[in-house]
Amino acid sequence: MPNVTVRGPVAPHTAEALDPVFTVAGLSVFYGEYEAVREVDLTIGNREITAMIGPSGCGKSTVLRCFNRMNDLIPGARAAGKIMYHGEDLYGAHVDPIEVRRRIGMVFQKPNPFPKSIYDNIAYGPRVNGMKGKMDDLVEEALTQAALWDEVKDKLKQNALSLSGGQQQRLCIARAIAVKPEVILMDEPCSALDPIATTKIEDLMQELSRDYTIVIVTHNMQQAARVSNRTAFFTADVDERGERHGRLVEFDETSRIFTNPTDKRTEDYITGRFG
Amino acid sequence: MSLARSRPRHGEQVIKAILLVAALVSVATTIGIVVSLLEPTIRFFGQISAVEFFTSTQWGPLFEPPHYGVLPLVSATLITTGIAIVVAVPLGLGAAVYLSEYARPRVRKICKPVLEVLAGIPTVVFGFFALSFVTPLLRGILPFEIEIFNALCAGLVVGFMIIPIVASLSEDAMTAVPSGLREGSYALGASRMITSLRVVLPAAFSGIVAAVILAISRGAGETMIVYIAGGGQPNFTLDLGKAMQTMAAFIAQAGSGDVPIGTVDYNTIFAVGSLLFVMTFAMNYVSARLVRKYREVYE
Repeated sequence: MPNVTVRGPVAPHTAEALDPVFTVAGLSVFYGEYEAVREVDLTIGNREITAMIGPSGCGKSTVLRCFNRMNDLIPGARAAGKIMYHGEDLYGAHVDPIEVRRRIGMVFQKPNPFPKSIYDNIAYGPRVNGMKGKMDDLVEEALTQAALWDEVKDKLKQNALSLSGGQQQRLCIARAIAVKPEVILMDEPCSALDPIATTKIEDLMQELSRDYTIVIVTHNMQQAARVSNRTAFFTADVDERGERHGRLVEFDETSRIFTNPTDKRTEDYITGRFG
Repeated sequence: MSLARSRPRHGEQVIKAILLVAALVSVATTIGIVVSLLEPTIRFFGQISAVEFFTSTQWGPLFEPPHYGVLPLVSATLITTGIAIVVAVPLGLGAAVYLSEYARPRVRKICKPVLEVLAGIPTVVFGFFALSFVTPLLRGILPFEIEIFNALCAGLVVGFMIIPIVASLSEDAMTAVPSGLREGSYALGASRMITSLRVVLPAAFSGIVAAVILAISRGAGETMIVYIAGGGQPNFTLDLGKAMQTMAAFIAQAGSGDVPIGTVDYNTIFAVGSLLFVMTFAMNYVSARLVRKYREVYE
């Protein structure tokens, strides 16, 4: 297996991940009749950080929410095309979305800890999934991996909502880790946080990418440049009826996207000329 | 150029006064009720000993010789309300969970107003429904004997009457739970049921308790159903198949007869009314404290 955890250029240059966890082919997402995203092709490399960037309404979050079938919960949402997860069709008839979500965790834009104790927040996933093992150890392990243990070890019984925003978000990451997923999806995880908390989360992502495959949607181009191995740039086309349809413009190693993009629209976006 | 008010805004003062009057009307009504209850109640306890009132198990103020033990009325009220709660809380909460977590938007849009219509049915209709439909049905299916007028049927139908209160207000509380919490739960591999029971219900707990309390108050004060279906005999018993008279039913019965003002009989009505008022008030107070203590604050 090639070593793909090295950040920066992986020689020789390959736009597509060599060891893909997800292979997306011709993915279109509809909300009712409305086609929100049109024909996306990309690959998500094992234990890499893949960033999805682009202006608002370009469908990057929509694509992200297909990876754990979160869109199933929206009435009328439908995905066409294929997402293969280790060669298995994620939208196959036999696939149980609940099992999918257990293997593919998610962290949301706004920290959303449950209004329960810190301990119960972490223990929730393992309990729900009937995981074996000592719960105290599971909780400590998850909090340690999320770099939160030292800050909260003396107040595990306290309500999670008493934590700061940055701590809450790391708690949500710990909560996702606690069910031992393979992939962690992050939907603008730092957009509600201050710069210091953002730095902590970014460091944490680097740390976690040794063990987990991470896909992050971000508005912050510097963030994508700092943390990711590969970057997918999305934008929205406006059709003759004035409807916006997201599409993938360019997908490549992050260093290429930011130094030598092949598409004019990518270049315009990363240099701040639009979006 | 002056920053002083350039022209008087009389309209605003008028509106403020009207709004104040609107608020005062309900406050004044409450005070008026308390005062009008208090005065005959005090006179009642001048005529009848409080010890007899609170400890005797016989009630019959209009009989000869009269008995003034309120316990049969209190027990009947607690029993019918208890039955009503046992019916209404599971069914109401079930309906709320269904509407808030499971039902498609279209189903919810139809179901919720229909449910609320149930709350608008006059209770006298419920009363005759109880007497002429539910009681015969119960007599047909139950393995034990029940009287025509009985506490069981009265309690059951009061329960049906308050289902919409529990369901509708609980549903509001559950819908108000931020969808981010649900997503957080689903994203961890939780099913819809687990998400409803372990995340949404606890987060909506204070609203649900408030809904149940309101329903209990309505049930405890319910008059027509228990008056019609529960019968008018103040029995001090736990036998649900027997007729019972609740506090509210007594007030309705005695109040609809011709009781001369100022007599003991007249004052009795108010004494019972005061007790009912105090009981509901105490329950509301305690539950408000509970809600504040167990409230799960999100945001």
